[in-house]
Amino acid sequence: MQETTIALSDFISTQVLEPWKGIKKVAREEYFTSGHRTCQGCESALVMKLMAKAAGPRSIILGATGCMYVANTTYYSTPWVVPWMHTQLGSAGSAATGTVAALRAMMRKGKMEEEPINVISFCGDGGGADMGLSAISAALQHTHYNLLIFMYDNESYANTDIQVSGSSPYGANSTFSPPGKVHRIMHRRWKKNTAAMLAAGHPDCKYVATVTAGNAIDTMNKVRRALTIGGPTFIHSLDPCPKGWDYDPKYSHELGELATETGIWPLYEVEEGKVKMYGKSKHIASGAFKRKPVREYLLRQGRFAHFVEEDIDYFQAKVDEMWEKWLVPGVIPFAQA
Amino acid sequence: MSTGSVEVVYRGIFQKTLAKNICRGIVFAAKNEGKIGIAFGRYSDSPERNGIPAKQFAVVADTEEEMEEHLSRYEPDNNDVTIAADDTLCKGVESWAWYGLQPINKLLTEGGTLLVASTRSADKLIGEIHRKGKPYNLATVKGTASFSGLWVYKDDHTDVRLLGALAKVAPHLVSLDSIVATISDPLKVTSAKKAYDLVESVSVNTDQGNDEVPFEFEMPGWTKMEEGLVIRGMAGQQEVPGRDGGYVPTRNPTFKKFSTRTMRPVVNFDTCTQCKICWLQCPDSCFDITPDGFYDANMEACCGCGVCEAVCPVSQCITMVNEEAFTDNAGQWEMWTKDKESYSGWLSEKISQPPARTHGFHHLGQYAEEIANDPS
Repeated sequence: MQETTIALSDFISTQVLEPWKGIKKVAREEYFTSGHRTCQGCESALVMKLMAKAAGPRSIILGATGCMYVANTTYYSTPWVVPWMHTQLGSAGSAATGTVAALRAMMRKGKMEEEPINVISFCGDGGGADMGLSAISAALQHTHYNLLIFMYDNESYANTDIQVSGSSPYGANSTFSPPGKVHRIMHRRWKKNTAAMLAAGHPDCKYVATVTAGNAIDTMNKVRRALTIGGPTFIHSLDPCPKGWDYDPKYSHELGELATETGIWPLYEVEEGKVKMYGKSKHIASGAFKRKPVREYLLRQGRFAHFVEEDIDYFQAKVDEMWEKWLVPGVIPFAQA
Repeated sequence: MSTGSVEVVYRGIFQKTLAKNICRGIVFAAKNEGKIGIAFGRYSDSPERNGIPAKQFAVVADTEEEMEEHLSRYEPDNNDVTIAADDTLCKGVESWAWYGLQPINKLLTEGGTLLVASTRSADKLIGEIHRKGKPYNLATVKGTASFSGLWVYKDDHTDVRLLGALAKVAPHLVSLDSIVATISDPLKVTSAKKAYDLVESVSVNTDQGNDEVPFEFEMPGWTKMEEGLVIRGMAGQQEVPGRDGGYVPTRNPTFKKFSTRTMRPVVNFDTCTQCKICWLQCPDSCFDITPDGFYDANMEACCGCGVCEAVCPVSQCITMVNEEAFTDNAGQWEMWTKDKESYSGWLSEKISQPPARTHGFHHLGQYAEEIANDPS
């Protein structure tokens, strides 16, 4: 797979990765391959595979602590084919800026050949939406650094056996929020709107997208778009987690799709100040596709098995509000006062 | 004056609560007999992953000193009883924390008992279990593997049935009376007693079993590691003779993952439309691309999650089949190219056997339905 490049002397060139139009065009090489110690049906492992495949061989991937660190690099054993480095839980952003700065310095000093190298730093929702938020925010202000922060969001601290994160959905069962006889709902916060928050709050961030791996071609093309645009970019992926969400692993793909079809997980990209819905979310926004009821999504997962009608209704009302009342439906909250 | 230990080998997450219930049951039963017991999970199996084999232990001692002596070890390395909560574990155990495949009976003491929950006969199981240099017993409790998830437990009495059977095969550890005294539900007491009566045990000699040598890896000690703990990368593609024009990705040589599998996909190449969706959506990159453009699930990399079956747009092109129906990891495409007719016969024989397994939660109320429909 050969990619053409734009050579710019000021080190801000990027690889030009054209979108793959259809599954037949997808590269067959794997840069994150078999032999990782993740769960059966792990959607985050699939996301790593798609991300690495989309980025191609001339990439450096960095990873903050989480499932995708612990399960993929246990004592001298790894499925990574491209160079990979671990960084601490909250430092996905700083590792990315540091790596890009180091590459620039090495190239400037002639210690390595000048070439555009993709730098992707991934983090889970714990590492990204919670602990690493400030470092990511800082990274997204470096206009002259080409880096992609990729957040794989399985809606909990899944690696340490499912504790609540800022990304956990309302009411979900977890190690920190087990439903009891007195209090059925122990987690009462609504999921953090990370992608939109970063897009709205970082004018220098060149590209933000939400993806889910059930939509594999789009997921890869968003990664390719982000890397081609260059500058600081951010992608937020919703990854169904068979362990923490408690469902049969074979439904990983289907639950990702359901999250979009119920309107819980809107798919959009923000580029040059414009937000664009894509996939099913585009049709939901235009009214061409009627959102499925959230109960179809919720009752398929053991983490919501304690829900009663009242809880499902509340969940539905919140999702309805997101599409009917928000300033930009599915993206930017606040209604006009 | 003595100590004894039991290890429960089980499918991570799917049987975590089950294994916990068994180990706790042993400890409480020991307490009823005036002994001391302790239950714990294998540290390096945590965090558990769905389906990847894990272990929990229960240790029983007569005195506190003996218990302390026993616990000074990292983990019990010689167990009176090994309980395999799922019979496909008999093919070998590759935990995510160690390297290579370990026989299920590896930590079993001479004359100890391997207790398996299975619907199959002892003969069938012995054919899968690796040979052991010492004689031991194989006991079976009739039943399918009980799988559920992290939050919703399928309470189908498998825990008390295994405890009842344990009292029969290792009365020196815990008696049936003391087990029964820990159970409050009268229905469960009946289940435990029934299992005690019905458990079947055979002795296994050193010349019986699978004579295959399980694969092993030598990992570098810390003095051999490179500066910065660098791991050398893999090359991008493997040369596979006879696969010109196909593509086989490099695979991590030190973790194969197939012992995670309890079902495997079988592919009907005659109906395959080469749409590539299984290949793209497989989280474990287990599909090799064949020279003629088919996608062949590599059985050393496949962990049996079932995503390929779920995403395949052709009806009955990919079917998940109970792992019990297979004795090796042979490739299916090669079998098909050699003789399409006999492959077709092989395929229909395999998919005619219903899976009799699930991987946990599908919808609310499903476990109650399954228990109501289960004849055992």
